[in-house]
Amino acid sequence: MVFHQPGNLDEVLKLIHNLAPSCRVIAGGTDLLVSIRQKDNEWPEHLINLADLKEIKQIHETEEEIIIGAAMSHDEIVNHPLIKNHIPLLAEASRQIGSQQVRNRGTIGGNICNASPCADAVTALIALNADLEVCSVNEILRVSLKDFYLKPYQTILKPNEILTMIRIKKLQKGTGYSFIKLGRRNAVAISRINVAAVISKSKTGVIKTAALAAGSVFPVWKRIWLAERELIGKTVAESLFMEAGKITAREMIEKTGRRWSTPYKEPVVATLVKRALLQASGLLLE
Amino acid sequence: MARYAADYSLPHQLYGCVKYADYPHAEILNIDISEALKINGVEAVLTYKDVPGENRFGLIPNIRILADDRTRYLGDAVALIAARTIEIAKQAARHISIKYHKLPDVIDPRESLKEETIKIHEEGNLVVHHKVLKGDIARGFKQSVHVIEQDFSTPAIEHAYLEPEAALAYPDEQDGIAVIGCLQNIYTSHKVIAAALNLPLAKVKIIQSTMGGSFGGKDEASTLVAARAALLAVKTKRPVKIVNSREDSMIQSYKRHPYYLNYRWGCDQDGRLLAMQHDIIADSGAYCSMTPFVTWRSVVQAAGPYRCPNVKTDVRGVYTNNNYTGAMRGFGSPQVNVAIEIMMDKIAEKTNKSPLEIRLLNGFGDGAVTATGQKLSHDVSLKQVLTIAAEKSDFENKWRQNRSKENQSAPVSKGIGLSCSYRGVSLGAEGVDAASAVVHVQPDGSINVSSGIIDMGQGAQTALAQIAAEVLGVSMKRMRFLEPDTTRVADSGPTVASRGTIMGGGAVKIAAEKVAELIKEILAEKHKIRKESLLLKNEKIETKSGKRVCTFTDAVKLCYAKGTPLFANGVRYIAETDWNEKTGRGNAYFTYVYGANVAEVEVDRETGKVNVTRFISVHDVGKAINKSMVEGQIYGGIAMGTGYAIMESFIQESGMAKTINFDEYYIPTALDVPQMESFIVENPDKHGPFGAKSIGEPALEIVAPTIINAIFNATGKHIYNLPASLEEVLLGKKLRRDVERGSLSCKPEV
Ligand SMILES: Cc1cc2nc3c(=O)[nH]c(=O)nc-3n(C[C@H](O)[C@H](O)[C@H](O)COP(=O)(O)OP(=O)(O)OC[C@H]3O[C@@H](n4cnc5c(N)ncnc54)[C@H](O)[C@@H]3O)c2cc1C
Repeated sequence: MVFHQPGNLDEVLKLIHNLAPSCRVIAGGTDLLVSIRQKDNEWPEHLINLADLKEIKQIHETEEEIIIGAAMSHDEIVNHPLIKNHIPLLAEASRQIGSQQVRNRGTIGGNICNASPCADAVTALIALNADLEVCSVNEILRVSLKDFYLKPYQTILKPNEILTMIRIKKLQKGTGYSFIKLGRRNAVAISRINVAAVISKSKTGVIKTAALAAGSVFPVWKRIWLAERELIGKTVAESLFMEAGKITAREMIEKTGRRWSTPYKEPVVATLVKRALLQASGLLLE
Repeated sequence: MARYAADYSLPHQLYGCVKYADYPHAEILNIDISEALKINGVEAVLTYKDVPGENRFGLIPNIRILADDRTRYLGDAVALIAARTIEIAKQAARHISIKYHKLPDVIDPRESLKEETIKIHEEGNLVVHHKVLKGDIARGFKQSVHVIEQDFSTPAIEHAYLEPEAALAYPDEQDGIAVIGCLQNIYTSHKVIAAALNLPLAKVKIIQSTMGGSFGGKDEASTLVAARAALLAVKTKRPVKIVNSREDSMIQSYKRHPYYLNYRWGCDQDGRLLAMQHDIIADSGAYCSMTPFVTWRSVVQAAGPYRCPNVKTDVRGVYTNNNYTGAMRGFGSPQVNVAIEIMMDKIAEKTNKSPLEIRLLNGFGDGAVTATGQKLSHDVSLKQVLTIAAEKSDFENKWRQNRSKENQSAPVSKGIGLSCSYRGVSLGAEGVDAASAVVHVQPDGSINVSSGIIDMGQGAQTALAQIAAEVLGVSMKRMRFLEPDTTRVADSGPTVASRGTIMGGGAVKIAAEKVAELIKEILAEKHKIRKESLLLKNEKIETKSGKRVCTFTDAVKLCYAKGTPLFANGVRYIAETDWNEKTGRGNAYFTYVYGANVAEVEVDRETGKVNVTRFISVHDVGKAINKSMVEGQIYGGIAMGTGYAIMESFIQESGMAKTINFDEYYIPTALDVPQMESFIVENPDKHGPFGAKSIGEPALEIVAPTIINAIFNATGKHIYNLPASLEEVLLGKKLRRDVERGSLSCKPEV
């Protein structure tokens, strides 16, 4: 195995252009190193380190968007003022990832590109309608996160491409949000289910926009359109949110079939969607 | 700086690994190692045929160092490899080909004893059947107004010591062999390894390294690693090191026995117990490690600390093709305590009593007679600890409030639970109960203490050194505790059964007293005073009237100048137990300890998530030699018991371990552990040094039922099958993954 420490993004892109497919990029390594070890230490021929690349280790804003470099660690995201002010939902999701140690190393780019159906930051980013910038030596593409996944652990990235930026629209003042993670324990736990909700409503409590996403529920990331449609134009109420939860559960079974975990997940997905909506709409504190 | 077994290395050392069984149950027809031997860097490949001495060991000697006739679980080693690097060794393992004749697997221990089930060992599938019989059980049930019957199950769980097993074995300069290892019971390892190598004990030296936890787990599991390293070292005449990865450790090592329990209790109108019948099956897995002793503790304690005229208990240990099971903190009590304490709450419910009332009504008092017919002659402090636990937690009020409809139908319900237990101290009638220690005061007054009691992180070294310091009247600054090796300290028995302080401490006290006696004799002679009038205190020797004679250091110098080296051996031996296996009656243990726990929980009734928010643990330890270490044991016990209650389960499917690292085998993190309070009660016992009894296992053994009872208080629903996982709490059952892994196999979207 050859370890490469490129000095800038251009070098990275050239390296992968020349070495693909016998190379892998590594950011925090919290997914990659674990999976290499699980496969009896089958190292790729070349490992290209993305850590410390200034271009993708920063967060900045435009008038409308927050732009996050793919190599930003979860801890950096949790504590960044731009994130706290404009997309606190992502801070909340990132805060619940693994443990402090994992958040110190693990990156948002790694969370997205690893493409696990339970990735916590991805649920939030789907609900936030995030866009991605994908780079190769030839071009920079902008793709919507919801179109990024083919199936579990597989994205549309080509061997000579990497993810460089995540672009997220700032949440409007008064927009409600919520992220709920359910694991088998209170830290260092893979999500059994996670749910993210973003809601805006009128003064009278009529829902204007709604975005819902759930992790460990669908094989491929997606917004829960059917449930969202149910919400829009209606007045916030627990019964309405429960209905949205039930729609989500039905969608899940429709997409995955009845599986070993369905007897548990069916009622619980519905409950968590309801709770996320209650929190996002301000009906339930916490 | 601490050095663990894996930290030791020697020049020219080789690395060892095992070739695992390919099937949980199969006859071994042929093992072909020729391809493996051809690999460059491979120095030795061994099968059972290469073991010069005894390949089998154990209480019932059927644990194989190397699988011979059959494989019996997937953690069996069929061959051993030593190579220049670990990678080469593992590659060689893949090149060993084995011909098998596959046999049916026995997975469910409840099937194991059926006529038609295949026999895993020649002698059949029954490891042991212990009984206790008191009074007339049929009459007891006839007199009962209420009869409650319930099935329970408890899972296999992993010890999860931080340091996986490791050993370094090397030929020494006199045709002998030395092994450095992390071993809970060096004296057993010593005998097993010498027998395997066909060497006299004197030629085998076992050196204890600093240990990174054990919880009962580093007995046979670590002995196997050490024995395998020793076999390879003898064969190659070079040092051989084996370091288990976490996966190796999880796959090979023994677990806590899973239990299937049927409990049937009868009581009168007021809840007074009249009949208790218990039928228990314990899964021993592939071999017999500690099953006869673990289940013996269960049979003795199966009726709990409660008075009842009629008791019938049957405990059977049976073989299966699961991981073998053995010693783990609690040793056969955590399982029965789950059933006992839930049953107690059910009786309370039936007779409209609170959990506290029902326990005070039935609990042992001074002079009570146990289910085995033993009359308790020490301070029976059960009601004392129960009362303290209830008062400190405001138990009765909270318990009543939580039973409101409002609480029990809220999305997140609060609950509080109580339980209590008594526990026999040390080995009891299981075996010879003796421990040795050496106290050696050096010529400058610094002091070495050693004992065959192993410090696994529990702090035995500190407690034992403190006892010597107390006897010699000196400060802890002088003390240095030496890790034992088998050539230096005589057999002290195993460091198990919460016997470190009471037995090892007892031995240290005797050794230190002998040294004190030597000092007094020399000084008495010099100063022409009666030695009985001398005291060792505050770094000085004084007379009882307070007159200073000299400093401790000067006294030591004087002794050496007079040709009296200050070196003494102490042996503590207690033989006040008796047991009749046929009738199940006798004085099982020489003394008992008492504890009571209260847990508070919040149960998310819509997701099944349980948060344990507060925990109060009260224990009578006899005498706390070191208060913070007692508290450490209590807090650790609560954390470990919380895992047993709500999340831990070593999952095997058809004999295949599924949870072989901490990504899937969940133990509580700091955020899952409740806020904890401990209360230490001291009723000194005549058997222990300064009255000390024990705390290591008591601290753990009722944590789980306390939490389960709290869940009942919150939801009105009992949990009978541990752990109280998300699914168990929400649906009342476990869900088993029937496919590879959820996320890998779910249907891709079109
Ligand atoms: C103990 C532990 C606990 C965890 N807990 C959680 C949790 O609670 N929630 C959760 O969601 N995850 C969790 N994870 C998973 C992991 O930490 C996260 O997914 C993390 O965000 C991965 O980031 P990384 O930088 O470490 O990725 P890496 O391991 O470096 O990379 C992961 C994959 O993405 C690729 N990759 C990385 N960056 C890029 C890029 N810019 N462009 C293209 N490809 C790229 C790599 O080649 C690799 O295939 C946990 C992991 C561990 C070890």
